[in-house]
Amino acid sequence: MPPACRPGTAAAAAVVVAVAVALALRGVARTAVPATPGEPAAPLIGPRVRAWYRGVIAPLEDALVAWGIRADSLTYAQLAVSVLAGAAFWAGWIFLAGWLTILAGTLDILDGGVARRGGVAGPRGALVDSLVDRYAEFATFVGLGAFFHDSWVLLAVAVAAFGSIMVSYTRARAEGLGIELRLGSAQRPERYVILGFGAWLSDLVAHLTCGVSGRPTHAVLAVAVVLLAALSVWTAVERTRHAFRALAEREET
Amino acid sequence: MSAGGLRPLGFVLLMLGFGLRLDTEWQGLAWILLVAGGAVGGIGLWGLARGADRFSAFVPPSGKR
Repeated sequence: MPPACRPGTAAAAAVVVAVAVALALRGVARTAVPATPGEPAAPLIGPRVRAWYRGVIAPLEDALVAWGIRADSLTYAQLAVSVLAGAAFWAGWIFLAGWLTILAGTLDILDGGVARRGGVAGPRGALVDSLVDRYAEFATFVGLGAFFHDSWVLLAVAVAAFGSIMVSYTRARAEGLGIELRLGSAQRPERYVILGFGAWLSDLVAHLTCGVSGRPTHAVLAVAVVLLAALSVWTAVERTRHAFRALAEREET
Repeated sequence: MSAGGLRPLGFVLLMLGFGLRLDTEWQGLAWILLVAGGAVGGIGLWGLARGADRFSAFVPPSGKR
């Protein structure tokens, strides 16, 4: 059964999102940028936005620690939510899928914060987090691929999935050689934001314009996936170049 | 729960409700979430407009990271 056009609901959702964005922008403007020289360069989501979002979820971290919620539980919850996001993409529930992607990204931040606040941060948690992150990304991309299975966008989904894994693999391999690699324009938060907000926006635009086209179409999501693919591949290349440069400098000394 | 906590909760419920309403056949559950989210978020925004944390919406508490 083809999805129904619901422009009125989409307009109401757009108003709610606009109010939330306005409140958020006011919060971002009032957030002090922390002086952290070691923080990696991130052109898409700058230090002010990162500091604002960490501040927003800080009370939640405190509450989770007080309730005795373990960081590992949040990591596995992130995996479950990512699987649900993938299932929602697969089913064509794009607005919900975008929201679940953002929720998974929030859980990804929360688990580390809870581990640090609870004083249990360590190598085992870092390993579990890294491994679960890859499975979570894979689950989301499988659903996205299923949604675009009869479109050229499937190729972009495949490139985005491979690029995302290469971003993480390049860093992990370089760190195994003693090289710190945290730069890049499509790190995990950026990937969550591009895909999550791209899906949100795509579904709103699809429903607002489907009176013209006759049925919801997801051109905005396709653009978001292509952007994600390009930035992920570029980030992996950036990291590889940086690693080569660091290795060359090490050999010279 | 404070008004500052009600707003994000209301937003989450509304987004879930809108998601179900837009793309699924679960219209009953969608309306329940939309009404609940609207009520919770409305109370939170009312608290914001009334005063105590008037200028603190989505602003990190002082002393936090």
